[in-house]
Amino acid sequence: MSAILEVRDLRVRYSAGKEVLKGINFTVRSDDFLAIIGPSGSGKSTLIRCVNRLVEPNAGEILFEGRDLLRLGESEMRAARRNIGMIFQEFNLIERLSVIDNVLTGRLGYTGTWRSLFRAYTRDDIRNAIRLLDRVGLIEHLDKRADQLSGGQRQRVGIARALIQDPKMLLVDEPTSSLDPKIAREVMGLIREIAREFGVPVLCNIHDVNLALEYCTRVIGLQDGIKRFDGAPAEIDKRVLADIYAMETL
Amino acid sequence: MRAGAADLTAYDLHADQISAWRNRSRRMRYGTYFMVAALIAWSVEAIVIGDTDWDRISWASMFKSARQFMDVDFSILGSLLTPAIETALMATLGTLLGLVLAVPVAWLGAANISPLGKFSYAFGRALMTMSRSVHELVWALIFVAAVGLGALAGVLAMGIRSIGFISKTVAEAIEDVNPGPVEAMRAVGANRFQVLLFGILPQVIPVFIGNVIFEWDVNIRRSTIMGLVGAGGLGLALHRQMSAYNYGGVATVLLVILLLIIAGEIASYLARRAVI
Amino acid sequence: MSTIAPAAVKPLPEWRRFRFPQSLYKYGAVLGAAGFIWWSLDFLRIDVERLPGILGRMFDVLSERYWPPQVSRVMESGYIEAVVDTFQMSYVATVVGILIAIPLAWFGSFNMTPSRRYLYPVARMIVMSCRSVHEMIWTILLVAIVGFGMLPGTLAMTMFCIGFSGKLLAEAIEAIRNGPVEAIRASGANELQVFVFAVLPQVRVAWTGIAIYTWDVVFRAATVVGFFGAGGMGHYLRESVQRVESQEVAAIVLSIILIVFAAELVSAWIRARISRAIA
Repeated sequence: MSAILEVRDLRVRYSAGKEVLKGINFTVRSDDFLAIIGPSGSGKSTLIRCVNRLVEPNAGEILFEGRDLLRLGESEMRAARRNIGMIFQEFNLIERLSVIDNVLTGRLGYTGTWRSLFRAYTRDDIRNAIRLLDRVGLIEHLDKRADQLSGGQRQRVGIARALIQDPKMLLVDEPTSSLDPKIAREVMGLIREIAREFGVPVLCNIHDVNLALEYCTRVIGLQDGIKRFDGAPAEIDKRVLADIYAMETL
Repeated sequence: MRAGAADLTAYDLHADQISAWRNRSRRMRYGTYFMVAALIAWSVEAIVIGDTDWDRISWASMFKSARQFMDVDFSILGSLLTPAIETALMATLGTLLGLVLAVPVAWLGAANISPLGKFSYAFGRALMTMSRSVHELVWALIFVAAVGLGALAGVLAMGIRSIGFISKTVAEAIEDVNPGPVEAMRAVGANRFQVLLFGILPQVIPVFIGNVIFEWDVNIRRSTIMGLVGAGGLGLALHRQMSAYNYGGVATVLLVILLLIIAGEIASYLARRAVI
Repeated sequence: MSTIAPAAVKPLPEWRRFRFPQSLYKYGAVLGAAGFIWWSLDFLRIDVERLPGILGRMFDVLSERYWPPQVSRVMESGYIEAVVDTFQMSYVATVVGILIAIPLAWFGSFNMTPSRRYLYPVARMIVMSCRSVHEMIWTILLVAIVGFGMLPGTLAMTMFCIGFSGKLLAEAIEAIRNGPVEAIRASGANELQVFVFAVLPQVRVAWTGIAIYTWDVVFRAATVVGFFGAGGMGHYLRESVQRVESQEVAAIVLSIILIVFAAELVSAWIRARISRAIA
């Protein structure tokens, strides 16, 4: 099992002076479904956004497929982002566009500026978009506007968009926080299934610990910018949770 | 429990502070009212007493002048059709020109996407202000001087004048945009142009269209006076009738103008309904 | 891309971006717009071929005849007086206009009008009529009736102000919360008392902003009304235009721009002070 992602001594400090990540180290292997748990303010959201440099870290190394992402120039970083699919808490779809157009925006990293102006994606892209939408169960909603869908449906569009990139890794930021519990389980199940089908490792932020333990293969516990736990879900017991969520149990 | 002597002193102090503050703000308010009233008195004196020649005007003469407008001269009605269409077309082309030019100005003047940071932002905002600060009549004079008499000057004048409003509202919409879709586009590896095109633009389009329709409506009003300085349309007919002191004809032109504006109001109301 | 097995057995739909007849409508609309623009340019006798030349020469024409500006023109004592006159006209027009517009806005607001059947449409029509007529047309009309000078200019600006602010003031009324209105009504107050005690406090902030913005716009228009004989700086503009003294015209136009800028700065400052005082 090779390591697809290696994070070394990651540090992030906001301009107000507060250090959000205080030296994080961990590895993601190519068959992992890695969950990051921890109380709010622990830095989970910042950590995930550092991996594809939506947030710029102050120090450390992020080795993706062996290359340090933090050393890449702007266009190289954009190319690297093509290989990392991201799924968001608030879905982040383009409301006015149709479902299929939203999925196709996942291919923008592979589409030239001029062609993207006219939304002239390749025929292969379109075919793959249709297949993915069928896979996530939204084939009847191809031409519907994104803002006409329910929350769960929107997240599935987000999943399809992330996968059409043909990614080597998935970043998932609190995929279920905006969803009902029942829909949340369906979405988590879908992510796990698809990730396995496509052979893509997942790095997933999640604040519902039970959900995390049920679907992931490894867990990282973050508290106040420091990694407090790194291991299998079976190893997590009350003591570990108390340690991670120290502030929340108050 | 009765309040002790110390508490009473604290209350007194607090009450004194409040009434002192009340008096200060009351004095400030009355001071402002007084200043406003004084300025009014001074201005009215200058206008009504200083400037107006009360010997020459009288209610009778004003009434007589007003009555002249009542004899509407319908004979010129036919000759007003072409100028009316000209006026409407000038307004439309002017709005189109304005909206095309407003896009780059809005890009410059939106704090979150301005390409060269504070400098281009300040420049964009300055352009917006300049466009709006100069009265359309002055723009018309400038363009008649630059490109000659005729409709072109009117179109250019209204185009430049419209930049300000459209770009200002669009820039504000851009600054208020939901950052989520922008993040998503960055995450898929889109370049800066694609992030703009897919992340920001779709969110801004409804505001853009609504304001263009509004500005078109306003431009119809503006278009009616362009001809007064030679820039085409019904204004020219108005000028001609005024020069000939044919007040009846002036009334006719004004009626046609009113009809045109009503038609424009209806059209923009329907257009707004269709879009939103 | 790794093969994705279709979930269902039935074949997947084919999808093209522009299916008939949507594609027809889209292309038709684009062609129609282009054709309309072409026809308009022709109707307006704008020669498209000469256009680039004309626009290119624009700067040459302006710089040859209009530069440098004849600054002495705007330093004349008569002109300085005219600037003061312009200010006075705009000031009175704004105050009087807004005072008249307030009851019109009240009657013309859909939620708070005392009579939706009679007062509302009448008030709305009055405001709309004032709006529809361009401020310069008001000027011409009033100069024809009253004569030359600052009086017709002030009256014209007042009409303009009523139209401009009436709509904005009414929109502010329509945006208030209904709670305080219900409360005051429930205590047995009449409509005027409801207006004073439930509406005014809620719109105070918005109305102050509107008032200052209105003065700004009225002042901008007042600088030009003199062109048609209504007093103020515009008179000098017309004189210089008629005498074809282009450099004087340039000086006057530039001074108008500067003064309007200054007025905008002043009004922005006042608005900032007031919002700080209220906050």
